[in-house]
Amino acid sequence: MASRTGISRRAVVSGGVGLAAAAGIARFNIVRAQSGPLKVGVILPRSGVQAFIGQSCQRGADIAPEVLKELGFKVQVALMNADTETNVDVARSRAERLINEGAHVIVGAFDSGQTLGIAQVTEQKGVPFVVNIAAAPQVTEQGYKTVFRIFPTSGDLIRNGLAGFKDVFAATGKTPKTAVFLHINDTFGQANKAAIDKLFPGADMPFKIVETIAYDPAARDLSVEIAKAKATGAELAMVVTRLNDAILMIREMIKQRWEPMGIMSPGSPGMYEEQFFATLGKYSEYPISVVPWYNPKTELSRIVEAAFKRKFPNDRLVGHALNVGFTFEAILVAADAAQRAGSTRPEALIEALRKTNIEKRMMIGGPIVFDEKGQNKNVQSAVLQNRDGGPKVVLPKEAAETAPVFPMPPWSQRG
Amino acid sequence: MRARVLLSLLAVALVAAPFVVSGYLVSVLIVALYFAYVGQAWNIMMGFAGQLSLGHALYVGLGAYTAAALFVQSGVPPWLGLIAAIIVAMAFAAAIGFLAFRFGISGVYFALLTIAFAEFTRIGFDHFGWVGASAGLFLPVSQRSGSDLLALRGTPTMFYYVILALAAGAFALSRWLLTSRIGFYWMAIREDQDAAQALGIDTFRYKLAAVVVSAAMTSIAGVFFAFYYNNLFPEQIFSIGRSIEIILGPIIGGLGTLFGPVLGAFVLQLLAEALREGVSALGLEIPGLTQVFYGVCLLVVVMFLPNGVWPPIARRLRL
Repeated sequence: MASRTGISRRAVVSGGVGLAAAAGIARFNIVRAQSGPLKVGVILPRSGVQAFIGQSCQRGADIAPEVLKELGFKVQVALMNADTETNVDVARSRAERLINEGAHVIVGAFDSGQTLGIAQVTEQKGVPFVVNIAAAPQVTEQGYKTVFRIFPTSGDLIRNGLAGFKDVFAATGKTPKTAVFLHINDTFGQANKAAIDKLFPGADMPFKIVETIAYDPAARDLSVEIAKAKATGAELAMVVTRLNDAILMIREMIKQRWEPMGIMSPGSPGMYEEQFFATLGKYSEYPISVVPWYNPKTELSRIVEAAFKRKFPNDRLVGHALNVGFTFEAILVAADAAQRAGSTRPEALIEALRKTNIEKRMMIGGPIVFDEKGQNKNVQSAVLQNRDGGPKVVLPKEAAETAPVFPMPPWSQRG
Repeated sequence: MRARVLLSLLAVALVAAPFVVSGYLVSVLIVALYFAYVGQAWNIMMGFAGQLSLGHALYVGLGAYTAAALFVQSGVPPWLGLIAAIIVAMAFAAAIGFLAFRFGISGVYFALLTIAFAEFTRIGFDHFGWVGASAGLFLPVSQRSGSDLLALRGTPTMFYYVILALAAGAFALSRWLLTSRIGFYWMAIREDQDAAQALGIDTFRYKLAAVVVSAAMTSIAGVFFAFYYNNLFPEQIFSIGRSIEIILGPIIGGLGTLFGPVLGAFVLQLLAEALREGVSALGLEIPGLTQVFYGVCLLVVVMFLPNGVWPPIARRLRL
């Protein structure tokens, strides 16, 4: 019904909706609060192919405000969560949106491709970006001034991984002479293979790689690959896996009765994950993964573990340790910078991030200190061995929960 | 007349958008225009000529990798790389088309063939060391205050106008094709191939032409993708998921129509974004909501608007 002014109620409502929409999309609506809480935009792949890992990382973010409060941080942290849907287009637009809504710092994004998509936005907007997990060296090699990564590069992962192998051999007094290298042929697997090809010759390893076997990430059957690996007669299976293929691989080894001295990963996921134990039961025991991990003995780890238990009573931290640990530490780094800067202005945060020096950590390694490219300089890996239904730290000694077992017991002699 | 007014209004709105809306919405519009463009390219093959391709990500990937690899490895400028990209994509399309049409492969079998080519190309690129294999190919990123259109390096606003020009060009080309002799041949083949053949249309030749034109156009989108995102991974760019994303816009908008792919892309991207915002404004967090939304859209369109969203709108607007 039109009023005397000739403007109908419907027109007024439509206009109001239009104005509200315009306020949301307008060019100059970037919120730039100078005081109040530190708004942390957490961008993770919480749906799509990487949903499981993205959601696992999100748990680290969810417990962060509470833990930081417990640690005595005066800076209040407000999380602004976004889902990349495992899609680089969405990752980029989500970063734009979060910054538009006033995020002071961005944390994410688990995957290198999505991380690089976000980095272009944060660099352009001058907003700091703390990368929790992403191993492609290019993340910190592209010359970005706003990107800081606490996770190791694929080169660091392998360097630490190979060193961990030697530590195991030294600790147990048993050394294989030959190895077969099996790796998944995706982005992560290829990056690891390239790093192994580059680093292995100079690493003075006690064994030689007799054959390298790659398999497709979508493979549903690894019988040919395992038969080929067994036929090499190698004493050690050096593997770079993800979860599903790691399960397939072990099943196939049992089926084909291949008994290598050990199954060791120089830095890949898969064998220490909850689903691996749940699916394989007693056969999940004894594989070794040398990966960045948390030190269960530090005070911060205990606080995080308690907070995790309160928030997620049905889950074990050990099943999410890497994802939770690095995501929590990324937010810790951001909060620490805001506290020291005494401001949430991006320039002040970036300046403070460059001077980061966090000694009390959850993850194993030295203090978090960034080099001039924004890469954490003190990244270390732990040697994990699957024992008693979960991954246990066996090296370094100061973090060890139990002693390493190598060679592993034959399949037929499992519980 | 109405169509021209509508087009003019749309054109003015799109040209003015970067001056009016935030950077965030510009990035959403870039994605919408990108899908409008590739949707238009796919529509030529399926909507006009009736050849179903479910592996169109192949041509995006080939275009992206060709131009990006030439740029990274040999410093070839992107616009020259674009020509190489088009040639490579056309060669692949001609090979696929020749194999299929020469041996009478059609319908779902042709669709399966397109998936197969996309998949084995992905696997091939996973092992192709010169382009980084599955570890990815990264374009160097430098900090610039301005834009260099010749080098395709610059701000999102520059990329917005590039993709807007591409989408407008694709629209104009599609319109011209649709009203030209080849367009009528394609539609005849789409409606009844045997009848078209009986009337003397060289179906092999014109079907092949549809595949090649569509692939060439799609490869240009690949070049844009490479220089906009600056990193390429075979498992992302050649994935079947990408192929499905390409075809959703035209299916929802209206197959075989000119506005359909544009409308479909905008409906999907903008409504999905609005949905995310609405849910977030309510304080809810529902990962995967967009995928569910896409599924529901597809379901609704298939059930209630089998010809897509655009035809009833066009009827209502008497276009």
